[in-house]
Amino acid sequence: MPASATEDILRSASVAHEAGSEALGTVMRIGPGDVRAALGALAAGGFDQLVDMFATDTGEAIEVTYHLRALAKLESLFIKTTVAYDGAIESVWEVYPAALYPEREAAELLGISFPGHPNPKRLLTVEGTEPLLRKSIAIRGPEEVQFS
Amino acid sequence: MALDKLTGENSLLFIRSEQLLDLARKNSLFYLSFGIACCAIEGLMSAGGPRFDYDRFGIFHRGSPRQSDVMIVAGTVNRKMAPVVKRLYDQMPEPKWVIAMGACACTGGPFREYPNVIMGVDKVVPVDIWVPGCPPRPESMQYAFMQLQDKIASKTQERLDAR
Amino acid sequence: MSEPRLDVHAQPGPCWSVPKGLRRVPKGLDELATEHLVLNMGPQHPSTHGVLHVLLELDGEEVQAAEASVGYLHRGIEKLAESRKYHQVGTLLDRSDYLAGLHTEAAFAMATERLAEIEVPRKAEWIRALTMELCRLASHYVWAGTYGMDAGAMAPFLYIMRDREMILDILEAITGGRMMFNYIRPGGVFADLPAGIDQPIRAFLSTFETYLAEMDALLGGNEIFQARMHGVGVISRETAMAFGLAGGTLRASGVDFDVRRDMPYAAYPELDFDVPVATGGDCWDRYVVRIEEMRQAARMIRQLVDGMPEGDFTAKVPKVLRPPAGEMYAAVESPRGELGIHIVSDGSATPYRMRVRSPAYYNLAICDEALAGSLIADAVVILGSLDIVLGEIDR
Repeated sequence: MPASATEDILRSASVAHEAGSEALGTVMRIGPGDVRAALGALAAGGFDQLVDMFATDTGEAIEVTYHLRALAKLESLFIKTTVAYDGAIESVWEVYPAALYPEREAAELLGISFPGHPNPKRLLTVEGTEPLLRKSIAIRGPEEVQFS
Repeated sequence: MALDKLTGENSLLFIRSEQLLDLARKNSLFYLSFGIACCAIEGLMSAGGPRFDYDRFGIFHRGSPRQSDVMIVAGTVNRKMAPVVKRLYDQMPEPKWVIAMGACACTGGPFREYPNVIMGVDKVVPVDIWVPGCPPRPESMQYAFMQLQDKIASKTQERLDAR
Repeated sequence: MSEPRLDVHAQPGPCWSVPKGLRRVPKGLDELATEHLVLNMGPQHPSTHGVLHVLLELDGEEVQAAEASVGYLHRGIEKLAESRKYHQVGTLLDRSDYLAGLHTEAAFAMATERLAEIEVPRKAEWIRALTMELCRLASHYVWAGTYGMDAGAMAPFLYIMRDREMILDILEAITGGRMMFNYIRPGGVFADLPAGIDQPIRAFLSTFETYLAEMDALLGGNEIFQARMHGVGVISRETAMAFGLAGGTLRASGVDFDVRRDMPYAAYPELDFDVPVATGGDCWDRYVVRIEEMRQAARMIRQLVDGMPEGDFTAKVPKVLRPPAGEMYAAVESPRGELGIHIVSDGSATPYRMRVRSPAYYNLAICDEALAGSLIADAVVILGSLDIVLGEIDR
């Protein structure tokens, strides 16, 4: 559906959003508190597939991206939200069970949390590992990896 | 004293029998089917397949560590995997050998810069043969087994001393 | 979606059944106090296709609950890509889904090209499609062989290894590698097809159908194998959509979606192929869908070899590529499903963030639900039918 129809869905769920059309496609930026409501409305409005969900460390905050798709029309939509370091976004697993694993991964690799998740355990790393995908955590330097 | 030289530990009779056993062992190495990553496809599956054929050396895969002689560590060992590798190594009965297959098992490989990766499985278990490559060709793995067979046959005394 | 294109739902269930008398619980044993046993399946297990660790809560032989524990192969492909140049990222991605390295490389190359607005020459697109279909066959061969081994059949594994070696010879002649190809780069491919490569490909295609029929008869024609697959691990259409499944697992549940046909890329708009869809959603359907996909892949390879155009094998790209700032997502149909790469670029020579949308990651999430209520033997078969590769799950 055209971007305006998507905006109508978001407006009817009273979600403040900032629409944009970039090289990536249709991108809607919303606040972290509105994610659950917005995704619920979009799922009811035809976006039946959560293609991917991931988070990026922008240097000042963590930006979470939800890539949705309406399979019948092959229409893609990117929902982006920004949350502070160690912030929280309500889990969307009831709307899209596909989000179960990516939320656990984003939580442990970037240090945010998803309250409402049924199984908020670490997915990929052991206890005590630092949030490895943050830009502040550096990879090993050449001296450390030298074969001695 | 003289009897000890003949029949005691590390003595003439005993060492010869252990060498004989090693000759038998080297021709029937059972490896633990323990493929961590990509190297498993090449070194465990392809090398055991019909073209490269491990079976002609007497090498076969076993599912349980309790029944295997060799552990081929094929893949990257990271912090979550290291205790598992150590436990599997401990579960193998003596005598046992380890082949570190691929760049990741030797030194951490292309992923050694990541903090979660352990730079080489020799930090976790003692390694007998290191095989470079990413992944090593199945012929490399066969050569590694041939080297291991030579090592088993010729280094009996060292293995007994190290026990 | 539309009607299934090919009805591959095969003949009905097993020809034997347990007589009713045997199911009676002996007197006195039905009041026995029992407790559940938590069993570790993996990370070292002959049938977990890599280092997958599944915790099974068992009541006797029945699985009450299952939980998958991954991360034993987490090597930081996404983090390390942030310090590699765009041409070097392909070496990391080869190792992500190691059975379909070319597909992952192609997704990354496509995302970079769309971001940097590079136009790939027609011959390069055809070479990409050819090598990707060969890689798909190789991956499905491994899947079929290990699937048979999961169910206890040792022989088909050796048969597929014979056929797979033929494909790997061809891929080695084209790309230089048997598994880590590093061939599909942003702009095109690394080198042109060697002269006379159509000879080994045609030789392979001439024996492919007989060999596949042989292997299919060994596996799919086996009564015991059929009895173990029919009705086992049923995933409904709604569950498949809700969990974001992809590939053969999704198509076996009745959803007609294939990235090659619906979001075309490389040479696929010009190729003629069918997409097999089944409606049952059980392990048997996933099996027949993938076997049919192999036949379609051979059909495409024949068209690609017959119609290979002349031209450049790569566009002119600078040695150090600096795409403009922005984001891009590109998806390909890997043997496991929709494999997408999402690049966030800040205009520099290295990606700012690279995300791998791996199909096996989402396919695995369903195992917690699909394994509950099955027997241990069924659990192994269900995990095998999902076709997972731990390299791309853990990245």
